[in-house]
Amino acid sequence: MTTRTPYDIAAHASSDDPRITLEEQLGTFEPIPPYPPRTEREAEFYTLRDGEMFVNMGPQHPSTHGVLRVVLKIDGEKVVDLDPVLGYLHRGVEKLCENADYHQAICYTDPLEYISSLFCEWSPVMAFEKLLDVQVPRRAEYIRVLAGELNRIASHALFMGWFALDLGGLTPILWSFIERDEIVEMLAALTGQRMLFNYFRIGGVNGDLNHEFMSRLGTWMSKATSQINSNQALLNENEIFVRRARGLGVIDTATALNMCMTGPNLRATGVPFDVRRAHPYSIYPELDFDIPTRVEGDCLARYLLRMDEIKQSLRIIDQCLNEMPDGPIMAKLPRLIRPRPGRAYAAIEGPRGQYATYAISDGTDQPYRMRIHDPSFVHLQTVGLLMPGNLIADTMAIMASLDPVMGGVDK
Amino acid sequence: MALKPGAESGNLPAVITDSRELVEPIVVPNTLWQSSNPVAYNGGQESDITHLREFEASGEGRRDNARWAGPLEIIPTKADIVLDLIRANSLWPLLSGLACCAIEMMSAATSKNDMDRWGMFPFRASPRQADVLIVAGTCTTKMAGPLVRLWEQMPEPKWCVAMGDCTCSGGRYKRSYSTIQGIDRIMPVDVYVPGCPPRPEGLIYGMMKLQQLIKDRRGHWPERPIGPTVPEDL
Amino acid sequence: MDRALRRRLEARFGERLTGPVRQRHDETEIRIAPGDVPEILLALHDEPELRFRMLSDLAGVDTGSAMQVVYHLWSDTSGDWLRVIADGLSRDDPRAPSVTFLWKGAEWMEREAYDMFGITFEGNRDLRRIYMPPEYTSFPLRKDFFLPDDASRSPGGGVRPMEQTHGPTNAEAEAHIRQAPAS
Repeated sequence: MTTRTPYDIAAHASSDDPRITLEEQLGTFEPIPPYPPRTEREAEFYTLRDGEMFVNMGPQHPSTHGVLRVVLKIDGEKVVDLDPVLGYLHRGVEKLCENADYHQAICYTDPLEYISSLFCEWSPVMAFEKLLDVQVPRRAEYIRVLAGELNRIASHALFMGWFALDLGGLTPILWSFIERDEIVEMLAALTGQRMLFNYFRIGGVNGDLNHEFMSRLGTWMSKATSQINSNQALLNENEIFVRRARGLGVIDTATALNMCMTGPNLRATGVPFDVRRAHPYSIYPELDFDIPTRVEGDCLARYLLRMDEIKQSLRIIDQCLNEMPDGPIMAKLPRLIRPRPGRAYAAIEGPRGQYATYAISDGTDQPYRMRIHDPSFVHLQTVGLLMPGNLIADTMAIMASLDPVMGGVDK
Repeated sequence: MALKPGAESGNLPAVITDSRELVEPIVVPNTLWQSSNPVAYNGGQESDITHLREFEASGEGRRDNARWAGPLEIIPTKADIVLDLIRANSLWPLLSGLACCAIEMMSAATSKNDMDRWGMFPFRASPRQADVLIVAGTCTTKMAGPLVRLWEQMPEPKWCVAMGDCTCSGGRYKRSYSTIQGIDRIMPVDVYVPGCPPRPEGLIYGMMKLQQLIKDRRGHWPERPIGPTVPEDL
Repeated sequence: MDRALRRRLEARFGERLTGPVRQRHDETEIRIAPGDVPEILLALHDEPELRFRMLSDLAGVDTGSAMQVVYHLWSDTSGDWLRVIADGLSRDDPRAPSVTFLWKGAEWMEREAYDMFGITFEGNRDLRRIYMPPEYTSFPLRKDFFLPDDASRSPGGGVRPMEQTHGPTNAEAEAHIRQAPAS
C-alpha cells in the first residue's frame, strides 16, 4: 500500500492529538477489499461465479452478538460462502495486561466475555495462583463456584433470549432479561457491580457473603425452577422454533474436534468433555452434578443442552449453599505480587466453552505475557463450515446457537 | 441475626456482617493531595501543554456538517416548542451496542427498567429511521469508520449519547493502541453517561437529561464542535 | 503431574526435544525446534498411547531474543495439559509451519499470532490480519511496540511502574525485557 494511513502512526504518536482529522485517521470503508487477494482463501472467496453476489452484514446489525461483520456470498437466497471479519472490538487487552500489575491485569480481563464476566476473571486468577503456588481457602472456592454458577445461569438465560430473538421471537428475550436482572442484582449485592464484577482476587475473593445477597438468593431459588421451566415451555414446544432449529447447522464429532470446539457446542455433538470433570479445578471434584450431552449436533440440541446445564447449575448452587465452610476468604499474600519466573496454564469451563489463560512471569511485578484463549473465537470459525447451503435468515440462527460474545472474540 | 435463605438453610457461616449496624465514618481532612515525588507532575507548575485550548480557539476543530437551518432557528416559536415536545417524547434509538454497555442498554430497554415509558423502546436497526445514537461500548479505530458513517446517515434532528466510560473518555482502555479515546473525538456528543457499565437507571437518567436538553433547545446548535470543549475559565 | 507421560514422551521423542521435559502442577512441557512441529504434533495426535487430539490453545510469545509458538494439547490418556513450545524463531522474520492440516480450528489462532507478532505460518491458507485493519503495518504484541502513554511522556515521568516507559531510554527496563524468562 502506498498511502500511509494513521493506523501506522497511531501506535507511536499520541492518540491524544485531536489534530489528526477524521478522514486521515479512519481511511475509507470498503466492504469488498480493493486490493488484490493476498491469500488463497481470499482469492477463493472474493471471486464471484455466475449469479452470485456479495452482501455485507456490516458491523452494526440488528442481531445482538456485537460488532461482527460477515461478508456473505449468496446465490439467490442461499448462502454459498461467508467470510467473517473481526477486530471491530479489539481493545488490545493482552498488551495492556503486560504493562500492568497482576491485580490490574485481572481488571482488564473482565470485559472480554462481558456476559459471563466472572469466568473471565477466574481463569487468569487461577493461572496467577499457579505461578505463586498459592492455596485458595475453601470458603473462597465455594463462593467462587457459587457466584460462577449463578453467572452461568444468567449467561444461558441470555442465550435463550438471543437465540429466540435471532429466530424472530421478541418475547423470550424480555423474559430472559427479567431472569437475568434478578440474578445480576443478586451478584451486585455480593460484588458491588451488575456486570463487570471485578470480584475474584489472587488468593480468594473480594468480599464475603452478606445479608442482602443471601436473602435475594433465597427468594430467587424458591422460584427459580418454576421460572426456568416456564421460560423453557415458551420455546421448547413452540412449533416454529423447533422446526426452524432442528436439523440446522449440524456438526458431527470429528468436525467439532477438528475445529477445536469446546463447551456446550462440543457436548451437543456427543463428546462428553467438560473441563470441570475432565480436568477438575477448584472444588468441583467434591460436587455432584451431571454433564448433559446430546448427539444430534444441530441448533436445537445446543439450545436444549444449555437449558439442561441451567438445571445442573442449580444443583451445584444448592450443594454449595449446604456445604459452605467457614474460614477466610482470601489467602495471605504480600501486597506486591512478584512470582518466580515461570509459565502457567489454567483452563476453566465457561458457559461458552473452555476459557484458558497462559501466563508467563519474568520475576517482575508485571506479567510478561498473558495469553487469553477464548472459546467464542474458536467457535466462530465453524460458522464458515455450517453456513453454505442455508438461507440468509438461518445465518444468524446458526451464529446465535454457537453463542459467541464479540468481546471475547476480539479481545 | 435472622437470615432466611429460602431453601434448606443448612449450616450457614456465622461470619456474615449485618449491614444495619452503624459504623463510625472515617473522616479525611480536606487537604490538597501532593505527590511524594517533587518533580512529578511538572513539579507543581502550570502545564505548557496548551495546544488543546489554542486549537479550540483557532476554530480549526472539525465542525459537524449537520446544519439545522439558518440563524432564524435561534428564535423559538410556539410550533418549535410543540415540535421539541414531540421529539423529546419519542426518541428512537439506533441499535448501536458495541460491547458490554450494550447489555445494560438492553437491560434498560426490557421489562424491569422500561425505556418504553418514555417512548424509547423501538430500537431501529436502520440509521435512517433513528433519532438518537446511543454509543454503548468501546469504539475501536476499526469501528470508528462505520460508526461515523452511521452517524452521518442519520437524518437530522439527531443526538448522540455516549454511554459508558469507554465512549466518554477511553475509560479503562486509555492506554490502548486500538481504541478511540472517547467518541467525542469523532462525533458531537450531547449527553455523557459515565459508568462501567452505567446502571440501566443511569442510562435512563441520561436519556431524561437528553429530553431536557431538547426541550431547552440546547440540542439545536447551528454548529456543533467536535472535540472536548474546554470551558473558558479553566 | 503425570510421570508416566514424561517417560512416554522422552522415550518417543528423546533426541528431538531441545530441552528437558518439565512438569509443574498439572502441566507437562516439551520444547522442540520449529521445523519438527508438523511431525511431532502429528505423532502426538495419532499415536494410540498419546492421542492428544484436542488442541486447546495456540499462542505466540516474544521473548526478548527470539519468538516462540506455544501449543497446548489435551488427551484422554493423561490428566496433564501438554505444552509444546516451538522455540527459536528469529525476531526479524519468524516462520513456523502451520498445523491447520491437523486441526482446521488452528487457522484463526495462527492468524492472530501473525497479526500480533508477525509470525508467518507456512501452510495456512488464510494468513491475513484478523484484529487490526488490513493496512496496519505494525505488530502490536511484540516487545518493541510501545504503548502511547500520556503519563510517561510527561516531564515528571510518572512515579508508578505503570507510568514509566520501558523503552530504550530506560536501560534497566530494557535489560529486563531483553532477558528471556528464566527456566
